[in-house]
Amino acid sequence: MSESVARSGPGRVLVAVYAVFAIGATSRAAVQILTRFHEAPLAYLLSALAGVVYIVATAGLVAGGRTSLRVAAVSCSVELVGVLVVGAFSLLDPAAFPDDTVWSRFGSGYLFIPLVLPVLGLLWVRRVSRSRAASPPIL
Amino acid sequence: MVEALTTTIQVASLLLAAWCLISTFRDQPMVVPHLVAMGVLWLAVIAQAVVSGVLMAQGGRPDETLVFISYLATIVLIPPACAVWGFVERSRWGPAVIAFACLVLPVMMVRLEQLWGPARV
Repeated sequence: MSESVARSGPGRVLVAVYAVFAIGATSRAAVQILTRFHEAPLAYLLSALAGVVYIVATAGLVAGGRTSLRVAAVSCSVELVGVLVVGAFSLLDPAAFPDDTVWSRFGSGYLFIPLVLPVLGLLWVRRVSRSRAASPPIL
Repeated sequence: MVEALTTTIQVASLLLAAWCLISTFRDQPMVVPHLVAMGVLWLAVIAQAVVSGVLMAQGGRPDETLVFISYLATIVLIPPACAVWGFVERSRWGPAVIAFACLVLPVMMVRLEQLWGPARV
């Protein structure tokens, strides 16, 4: 049962939060790109990228195998870098971001959850990996 | 959208979130009453979606109809998805998942009301 450790307990809440963000960011980006792509191509492409990264992270956390956790860790890192870089740029050069993305202003439009989420994700992946190293699966 | 129903959903959702958080902190797993409450909340959300659909068919379309419909569809899916996900987890983290869903719901309802009629916000 060690494969399911990643998604049990607090991991289940994390996956729920990730799933909502995956759906939210992806569908928002889809609507933006389909209806008014020319207005802010960079912002909308970044929204779409964010959505895809959230989907990958969610899938990685749900699957929870060794490789899946590595995938989750990488996508969480991409998220963290994304929210920091896009957050900084959206403040320094607002003209480049006429419309909001999930990561604009460090995710302030989403209660800063996009900023906290990758950190929690990385901590969780580390905890699961460590508990597995401490007690190797019986199977 | 019916504003009174929106308010009811928001208040009920926040109460249920509080109840679930108390269960989480008291280290209790999810029980059937949690699930029943979530079901009632879900029915209210479905009712709001149906009413909005009927009003839209009668011509009261929000500005961004496509966004509105996609938000509405997502909102309807959140309670059952989180209820199942939370019910499977037989620990304190089950109610925590439900609490999260119940905190997302009121925020989404605010967003829906904004899309429905900017003048009223």
